[in-house]
Amino acid sequence: MEEKLSKLKEELKEKLATATKEADILNIKSEYVGKKSEISSILSSLKDMSIEDKKKYGSLINNTKKEMEDLVTARLEELENESEITFDDTVDFELVTGSLHPVTIIAHEITDILKRMGFTVVSGPEMESEYYNFEALNVPKDHPARDMQDTYFLDNGMVLRTQTSDNQIHAMENFGAPLRICAPGRVFRNEDLDANHENTFYQIEGMVIDKGVTIENLLYVMQNLLKEVFHEDVKVRLRPGFFPFTEPSYEMDMSCLICGGKGCPTCKNSGWIEMVGSGMVHPNVLRAGGINPEEYTGFAFGFGLTRLAMMKYKINDIRVLNSGNIRYLKEFNLK
Amino acid sequence: MLISCNKLKSHIKNPEDIDWLNIWDTFTLRTAEVEKVTVKGDTFDNVVVGEIKECIPHPNSDHMHILQVDYGDKEPIQVVCGANNVRVGLKTAYIKVGGHIDGMEIKARPLRGILSNGMCCSGRELGISDDHNGIIEAPDDWVVGTDIKDYLPVRDIIVEIDNKSLTNRPDLWGHYGIAREICAITNHELLPLDILEIENNKEDLNIVIKDDNLCYRYTGLKIDNIKNNKTPLEMQIFLFYVGMRSISLLVDLTNVLMMELGTPMHAFDARVVKNIEVGLANEGDIYTTLDGVERSLTSDMLMIKNGDQYFGIAGVMGGLDSEILPDTTSIFLESACFNAASIRRTATNLGLRTEASARYEKSLDPNMTDLAIKRLAYLLKEQNPDMVIASNLTDIYPRKLKEEQIILDKKTLSIYMGRTLEDEEVKNILEKLGFKVKIENNYYDVTVPTFRATKDIKIKEDLIEEIARIYGLENFIPKPLKLDLTVKEHETIFNQEYEVKRLLAEKYNMHEVHSYIWYDTDLLKELNIEKDNIKILGKETNNILRDDLSLSLMNIVRENFKNYANFKIFEIGTVINNNSNKRVLSIILTDKETNLENIYNEAKNIVKYIFKVLKNKEVTFTNNVNELPYYNDTLGKMINVDENKIGQINVLTKSCTNKLSKKKAIVTIDIDFDKYVTLPKEEILSKEISKYPEVELDYTIILEDKKYEDLKEVLKTFLSKLIRSYRLVEVYENKYMIRYTLGSDFKTLEQKDLQTFKDRFIKHIKDNGLKIIE
Repeated sequence: MEEKLSKLKEELKEKLATATKEADILNIKSEYVGKKSEISSILSSLKDMSIEDKKKYGSLINNTKKEMEDLVTARLEELENESEITFDDTVDFELVTGSLHPVTIIAHEITDILKRMGFTVVSGPEMESEYYNFEALNVPKDHPARDMQDTYFLDNGMVLRTQTSDNQIHAMENFGAPLRICAPGRVFRNEDLDANHENTFYQIEGMVIDKGVTIENLLYVMQNLLKEVFHEDVKVRLRPGFFPFTEPSYEMDMSCLICGGKGCPTCKNSGWIEMVGSGMVHPNVLRAGGINPEEYTGFAFGFGLTRLAMMKYKINDIRVLNSGNIRYLKEFNLK
Repeated sequence: MLISCNKLKSHIKNPEDIDWLNIWDTFTLRTAEVEKVTVKGDTFDNVVVGEIKECIPHPNSDHMHILQVDYGDKEPIQVVCGANNVRVGLKTAYIKVGGHIDGMEIKARPLRGILSNGMCCSGRELGISDDHNGIIEAPDDWVVGTDIKDYLPVRDIIVEIDNKSLTNRPDLWGHYGIAREICAITNHELLPLDILEIENNKEDLNIVIKDDNLCYRYTGLKIDNIKNNKTPLEMQIFLFYVGMRSISLLVDLTNVLMMELGTPMHAFDARVVKNIEVGLANEGDIYTTLDGVERSLTSDMLMIKNGDQYFGIAGVMGGLDSEILPDTTSIFLESACFNAASIRRTATNLGLRTEASARYEKSLDPNMTDLAIKRLAYLLKEQNPDMVIASNLTDIYPRKLKEEQIILDKKTLSIYMGRTLEDEEVKNILEKLGFKVKIENNYYDVTVPTFRATKDIKIKEDLIEEIARIYGLENFIPKPLKLDLTVKEHETIFNQEYEVKRLLAEKYNMHEVHSYIWYDTDLLKELNIEKDNIKILGKETNNILRDDLSLSLMNIVRENFKNYANFKIFEIGTVINNNSNKRVLSIILTDKETNLENIYNEAKNIVKYIFKVLKNKEVTFTNNVNELPYYNDTLGKMINVDENKIGQINVLTKSCTNKLSKKKAIVTIDIDFDKYVTLPKEEILSKEISKYPEVELDYTIILEDKKYEDLKEVLKTFLSKLIRSYRLVEVYENKYMIRYTLGSDFKTLEQKDLQTFKDRFIKHIKDNGLKIIE
């Protein structure tokens, strides 16, 4: 009996070793350990044996069957692990991505920085009333800025807004003082197109109103904003400027990033690049927004997002921005 | 504007204390942007006063002469000269052999066979004027051999100031105003101007102002017996350096005054002046200006009239018949002040912006007109000691501009500045700028000079600006805003737009584009589309504002078809609908014509995805009743959320598509973004799931002459407690595969449960007249 059992086991071992397909192994399994296998019939003949023989062979038969089953299982597992998938691992497809508009990317970046300084992001209408675009911003009727040649006037008596400063009035009306808003948006100027001029471009407006706001707060916000945008220790400086909606008004220059302030063609050898129009909010503008200038002061600033995007991404022709040309825009992957 | 430092120095006490080359960086920070600083007078050397001792014609030339020039050496030297004003006794500028002009060395060389040792020079040759009519004619008292730089202000520093940064400062349109700023910046003293006081013991001139809203003041003076109309060399150099042409003493003096005080003036030949009237033109009249151009006048243009004739366009340009002539000895001087807006409109409408109009439109101070005349008379008298004042200084000034007072409280000043200044410092800054200051306990009582009052100084904040800039803006230190943790009102539009943009670019590889708010009218014409919406005034093309964002993107679509057979773009932009702004998200999917079904279905999925992922909302599509002729009228869906329409999907008609590119399909999605923004985000709630496993069963149903829409209705009426969900998983030709997910909360489903479900389902499908693959 022992001999017989060990022979069966050896036979199985041999057969399993040569089998390389799962189906073959399953056939071998049913032949050697299945219901109709020899070991099964030996096992079933156990009941006819003497008590002595039962004692003698019972566990041996059972163990052998168990061992044989384990052999099959082990071989199956071995085969499963053997079946590696092979392929050409050097294939390299071109990456396909969508893109965001460069202005969207820069607007997001800037608003993100301003949000960290506690600014709320708001937006205003592109078709605007003359009141919000001019009057409320202290631009009187005979001001040159209201001349036909700069502004798109519409046949319904409104205008395409010429700057994002209309948001100042909307924000004061909507939220009152104190206030901390920024407003990226599209503006329109009646200009002939060339590499540096567009009739449709983006600006961002900022406004802070509170008790005791000073010029020095304005300086802080602008300096840190530009620092974060350019990831460089940019310097800023204020120069006297003139805007109807601020008093005092300042032009803010940024140290030239191309030459580091030494002077180069980009900065016309001055070492500075004019970036931001800013100033303390004019009392008339505060009043137009329903805020008492004797109680509150504030500052406002505005600058070209389109221009900033061009500087940051080294875009040398403004016209591509509104061209919708995917060949160009696809470079601006997500941010 | 060009500024001569020599001129500035003449207005300032102790000007030698100032570093004239480097003061301009500070000027940029204090006052206005300096664009360029140029050092003049370095372009030539070895030019001395020479006297022509002998002058004989050149034997080989019809115009040259052979000169013997005494230039201070022992013997005169031989020079060949082609100028026509050579004569014995003339003192001129002589450049020695070895001297330089513009880097070129002057050598002794023969001219038509006769040796010339050096050269006699014209003003243009030396680069100090544009006079090239002859060699320089120096005054008789100049000493031979002296460097001419000792006599003439050739060495100068010329500063170019950005005109735009002077827009708000009428007082800075002349050297005297700039000198005042320099005095304030460097704490120097401004010298008063030398003027000729005029005794009013003669007749008044006949001057009438018809419209004192447009002409604030008109001052006139008649001067006779002007014999010398020759501009002195130093004045020629000054004018040349600041970009003006020297013409004659009388014309040049008006320009000198304009460059000095910023006040445009006019000198008429007194012989033609009868009486002066300032009034409006008649509509449609034609008038020829000094430049010989015929101009068509309108009734809002202010004119200077002489007798019954037009004499000049007020503040813009004179006429031909009022010009100073070579034999003019008697002049009528005009110094007037006009309404800035009126001058600007006239100049703009005539397309004629002159030095005068550019200054008038800045709002000049009317109180300067008499000063300007007295100053001009003084300068004229220097050249014409025998001139005779022939009239009273006639001054028509109906409404005198008076000095205004502004109270500047110290508290406001401190808030703006972020610091408190000494009273004396404030007073000194303002006084140097021409203000008068009385220091009180809590405030300053400030009197504004009228040359600052016409435009920029009206309120106390304007004074703060003056104090801050002279104090030095570089002295301000960036200070963070105070900590304020109040929860602010919040607007989410920008964020929501960004979220959607990013999703479309990231998940669907779309490209964001920006387009114009108006239609490309040429494209509309080409596509045969009529649009009526708000229009831009004064524009003939691209003048209709868009009311359909997707349509306005079609020229971008066309451009990209040149490079791509299929692409996906989007924009969130403004359209004008019913006279108001609307934000719209437009997505455009394009592909070959044969792939229309794919992109159409993709469009639906994109919409479903946006709302599911960003708003947790289910979208339904209903058939679109399309009234727009350029979209396919059978394809197209309304997009509904919570039973409200929020957008639509459209297919551009074949005829329009073919005009953009052949054999293509264009699917558009428009979503009302104003509605989208206000749509609340549905809360996500967790669901209990059964602890028993679920089973999936697939059925393939064949639709003949029917659509999925019909099948959906049939499926909707099949009810069973086992149904967890069902969905369309595949469509192949007319075979639609539906996948049911079955389950129970109470047990694991057995074979017999599934069989019962299957039998019932097949029966239901068949009963409804549809075929099913069993």
